[in-house]
Formats: sequence, C-alpha cells, structure tokens
Amino acid sequence: MATLTEARPRDARAHRAPARGGRSRRWVGVLFVLPAALYLIIFQLVPVLYGLALSFTRYSPLSRSGPQPVGTDNYARLLADPEFGQALMVTGKYVLIVLPITVAIALGLALLAKQSFRGVGLFRSALYVPHIVSLTAVSMVWLWMYSQHGLFNEILALLGRPGQSWLLEEGSALNAASAMRIWKALGANMVLLLAGLQSIPSVLYEAARVDGAGRRAAFRHVTLPGLRPMLTYVIAMDIVFLAQGFAEIFVLTRGGPLGSTTTVNYLIYTEAFQYNRFGSASAMAFVLFAVIIAFAFLAVRGVGRRS
Amino acid sequence: MKSRYGLWAGLALVAGCGLSGGGPAQDTAKPADNAIAVWFPGTNQTEIDLVTKTIVPRFEKETGAKVKVTFLDWPDLSTKLNAAFAAGTAPDVFGHGPAAVADFVTNDRLEPLTADVARLSAQDREDLANALPGGQVGGTQYLMPLSMQGNLIAYRAGDFTKAGLDPAKPPATWEAVKEAAKKLTKRAGGKITHAGLLLPSHPIGRQQTFAGLLGSAGGEQISADGKNVAFDSPAGIKALDYFVSVYQGPDAVANQLGVNYQDMPIAQQPLVTGDASMTVLAPQMVQQVVKASPDLDVRVMPVPTFEGTAQGVAVGGAGPGLMINKDSRQKDLAWKFISYMISPATSLEYTQGIGAIPARVSASDSLYVKSSPVIQAFVAQAAHFRPNPNVPGWTQIRDIMAKHLEQALNKKVDSAQALREAAAEVKKILNG
Repeated sequence: MATLTEARPRDARAHRAPARGGRSRRWVGVLFVLPAALYLIIFQLVPVLYGLALSFTRYSPLSRSGPQPVGTDNYARLLADPEFGQALMVTGKYVLIVLPITVAIALGLALLAKQSFRGVGLFRSALYVPHIVSLTAVSMVWLWMYSQHGLFNEILALLGRPGQSWLLEEGSALNAASAMRIWKALGANMVLLLAGLQSIPSVLYEAARVDGAGRRAAFRHVTLPGLRPMLTYVIAMDIVFLAQGFAEIFVLTRGGPLGSTTTVNYLIYTEAFQYNRFGSASAMAFVLFAVIIAFAFLAVRGVGRRS
Repeated sequence: MKSRYGLWAGLALVAGCGLSGGGPAQDTAKPADNAIAVWFPGTNQTEIDLVTKTIVPRFEKETGAKVKVTFLDWPDLSTKLNAAFAAGTAPDVFGHGPAAVADFVTNDRLEPLTADVARLSAQDREDLANALPGGQVGGTQYLMPLSMQGNLIAYRAGDFTKAGLDPAKPPATWEAVKEAAKKLTKRAGGKITHAGLLLPSHPIGRQQTFAGLLGSAGGEQISADGKNVAFDSPAGIKALDYFVSVYQGPDAVANQLGVNYQDMPIAQQPLVTGDASMTVLAPQMVQQVVKASPDLDVRVMPVPTFEGTAQGVAVGGAGPGLMINKDSRQKDLAWKFISYMISPATSLEYTQGIGAIPARVSASDSLYVKSSPVIQAFVAQAAHFRPNPNVPGWTQIRDIMAKHLEQALNKKVDSAQALREAAAEVKKILNG
C-alpha cells in the first residue's frame, strides 16, 4: 500500500511535469511562429479581407464619406459588363497561349540541362537569368525590340522583309506580349522541372532499359510519371501568375489595340487607380481570384489524377 | 466557440480597418507652423533643380517659411494623391493638370481661390486672363496654372522643299495639310514607309486630336453647362472622318496608328529619325528637337482651320498648376507660395526653365519669348488653344471617347456610329 501511496504522487508529478514543460515548450513554439504569423495576418490576410469587404461597397479614396455599402451590386454589374467579359477572355487566351508553350519548351530545356556536358552550369544560369530580372525592365527592353526601328524589324529588314507593327495590330499584340512572357518564364520553369527530373531514381531507368524500353518509352513510362508532382506544381503556379498578368501589358500595350490585350488585372488597375472605383475593382479582383482558383484546381486534378 | 470569437474579432478588425477610412478629419502629418508641404507633378530634372535649388530657397529666404517640396512621376501622381487624401496626409499644396480639378472639387478636396485671385491687382488678373479659366470649375477658381500648354504641327522645312512645297507658306487649312501630306508620304510595296503627317493616335492623344479637329470644324465636346454631350454632331463626324482618312484608305498619309510618338525621346522622334515630315508636338519637345538637330530646320505652323470655318482650334490652354488642399492648416502660407510662383518674375523664370509657354501675356515681350521662334509661334497661337471640359469624371469620359475613336480609326465602325456609341456612354457619366 505504502508503495502504492508513494508511487501515486510521484506518478502524478511525473505526469504533470511533462505537461507543464510541454505547455511552455508550446508557448516557445508560438513565440517563434508569432512574427511570421503576425506578418501574414497584417500584411496578407487583413488586406485580402479588407478587399473582400470593399467589394461590397462603393468607395473612392478621394471621397470624405468612406466606403458606402452596396450589397452585391458590384458583382451584379460585372456580370453585365462586356468589358469585364472580354478581359476575362483575353486573360484566358493569354494563359492558354503562354502556358503550354512555356511548359513544353522548359521541359525540353530541363532534359537538356540534366545532361552532363561542358558548360552545363553556364547553360543553366543563362536560362535562369531572365527570371531574376524585373518584369518591368524586361518589358521595356522588349518594347524597344518590338518598335518600328527595334531588333525584330531590323532583322526583317536584313532579310528584305517589311517591318511589322507587332504591338499595334489587334491580331498580333497579344501574341507579341505572350512571346515575351514565354521567354521570361522559361528559366524558372526549367529549374523546377530539372529538380523534378533529378529526383527520379536512376534505378527506374536502368530497370526500364533491362525491360527493353527505348528512350521514348522510358520518357513516357518513367520520366513523365516521375515528373508529374512537379509538373502539377509548375502548371498550377503558372496559371496563378499568368492570370495576373499586368506589368508586361502596362508597359507594352496599355491594354490596346482595341482592348485586345486588356487583361483583368489591367482592367482592375484602370478601375481602381484611374477612375477611383475601389469597390468594383475589388469585386473584379475577387472574381479573378475565383477563376484562378477554379482553373488551378482543375489543372491539379487533371494532371495529378493520373498519378 | 473560440473559433467563433476569432471570426468576430477578424471581422471587427477588417471593419475597423476598412470601413472607417476617408472621413473628413485630416491628421496632417505636416511640417510645423510657417511650413508647408508641396507636391509638384513630373520628374523633369531641369524643373526639379530650378524649383528646389533656386525658386524655393529664395522664397524661404524672403518669407522665413519652410517649404518641403516633393516631385512625383506623372503616372503615379493621382494614385499617390488619392492614397494621401484617404490617409489624411495630403500636402498643403499640390500640382496637377486641369483635367483632374473637377473630380477633386466634387469630392470637396480643394480650397476655392476666387477670393484670393480677386485680391490680385487688376493688372495681374489681366496678365493671367488666358490661363485662369482653365483652372475654374463652375466659375470658381481652384487651380492656378503655372504655364500654358498646347500642341502645334511641327514640320521639316527640307522635306517641304523637296516635295515642291513652300516651307515659308505652310498649309492653313486641314484640307491643305492633307494635300501637302500626300506629297510628302512615301510608300514601298503598298505600305507607308514615311508618313506625310502623324496625328497623335495613342489613347490620350487621339482624344486630343479629335477635340482639336472638332473645334476646328466648329463643334464642341460637351455643352457649355457641362451637362450634355455635344461631340456627336455633324462637326464631330466631319472631324472624325478627317482623322480616319489620315490613317486609313488609299489616300492615307500616316502609319504607326496607336504609337505614342509624342512622349518618345528626342532621338526616336519621327521628325528626327526621318519617319515623318509633319507631327503634332508640345513646345518643350519642338525646342529640344530644334536644339538637338538644328540642320533639320524644324518649324511650327499655325493651327489649321477647316475650309468654311472661322478659326482653328487645338487642345491646350491652361497647363498644370497648383491647388490648395482644403484641409491644409497653412492656407495663407500656401496661397503666399502659389502667388509667389505665379508672380511675373518667378513665372517667367519657371516657364523659361522648363521650356513651356508662359502663363502671363506680358511674357511675350520677354527675351525668353523673343529669342525663341518656337515659343513665339506657340505664344502667337495661344488664342487658338482650348482646354478639355472641366467636368467630374473627365478621365473616364476621355477614355470612353478614346475607345470609340479607336474603333473608327481601325474601320471597325463608321464615324457616326463611333460617336453615337461614345455619346451614349458619356451621357451616363455626365448624369452621374
């Protein structure tokens, strides 16, 4: 009995002591996470929620009355706004032009960069450089290259061909902006896909070779399935970034000609900062947010399902 | 339960952050007494040096006041001003173009200056008579223009001579301008390789081009009371038909539809590169072109009329100017600074420094004007410059017009339909 009587408090202490230690350790953990959490809440979450609240108001920053609640009017107006519909179409088209070409070329480059040959480091670095240069700066350079006396027209002149108005014609402006964006996005996509390729165990290729698989079969049955998680990530992230295309459009075309390059983000900019209609601009932003989520989800499901 | 509290706390935070902003109180994080903050538009280094190193130090020395000057890039100006007004940190004095004034007035952000102008001497008011109307909304003065603005056709005299035209007698009507442009235009394989005449066709430029042609055809953009659309008129159709004919059809004389050549650097100006013989430019750019390429013999022609109309019109008039924030705690000092900026000596020094058209009539006798044939030409045409209407929502109205003008310029619709559709949209803005 005595043993039991003595043992209980000891057990209880032993039980409580870790609990106290665990709690204090948990608080230490919370303290470590707190700065990042506060940063996320104050600078990420609150502005997003503020934007959501604004989307149900009429608000001009010049106005003294502050935001005026209007319910779902902003969203209802968007449904009937042909300009917003066209901007959604342009944004979708932009993503559909840039995404497949970028991913296909980046995959080809990643396969090339995976090989070991002299200067492979330089090759990889050179391809990554466009990614680390500011999109606005890159767009300025491409603006010159597309201009009347720019690089592309000078090359055409050397070939005896007439110059083109790359950014000034309805049929070519979005393609021209897309070409720049493809070039810009290649490096980052290539690095991610290269990382994906390097994570595929080499024994799988050896087993495939033993089973008599050729290069094409190995690519189809080993590389692509092994790359699928990274490919899913790359496609989802590209959709997220491309659907928010703004800087390149602002610099290269300002949404023209004839609205053929007016993306939703560009429309949001004009609505908010030119016309001071922050309410409807916020509503546009949340519709775009929903569309991006939907397409990214479809991409993840579509590419990820097969794995 | 805890998560519910969290949700309410979050919503309260959002509501607290978001829905209380923009109230009347201005917590002006401003300089102390006898000090003002001034925001100037633009990032022209010559202007920055002139204002910050010469004019403001002199004003501070003469008055004992302190002036904190900030120059803002034009494209960021509205955004930063809006944010500052929303946050209650807008400067005491700020500059902007006349097109922005009506929206500030609608939102009760500007101090009326009519009484201050009335206290100027009669001679001063008369001297500023051309500039003051551009800074008024509904007859009340809100903006004090620092310079005049306007665009004229600049041309290469050598090209005129080569084409058998007399550069000393430039065309006086738009019809004659087109005929001259036909002779100056060069083609290769059906494509224009050298434009006889380039009219501004980028979004803001195309609205201004149309407004000038419309005025020259005897029309108006908006009715005098600012409440009705007036550009969808026979004069409007005539003006737009002319504009379209410059870029489209067998008699087209221009290429590069949509290019903003007016803001290109000097080395890329079509007059300098030899891509065009006639372009529409502001005085600052013409002076820079003349200075950089004196061998080109670039000259400026008077504003053309249409045959059968009384006088030519170009968009212009009052240029950017200064306004006083209604919530400023230093309104007297703010006005003192503005009146110093528009005083005869400082005004002339300022416009000469930035190469602009002087705001004061008396400046036409100055050495600055007399020594510059370009500025003389612009000053001589000042009576032909007409400002865009100062009505609330003008920026959006301008963009709507530009959008529909672009449809006509690309032959998607005819001029009448473009103007009709633009008018329908603009009416909604004018009616609130």
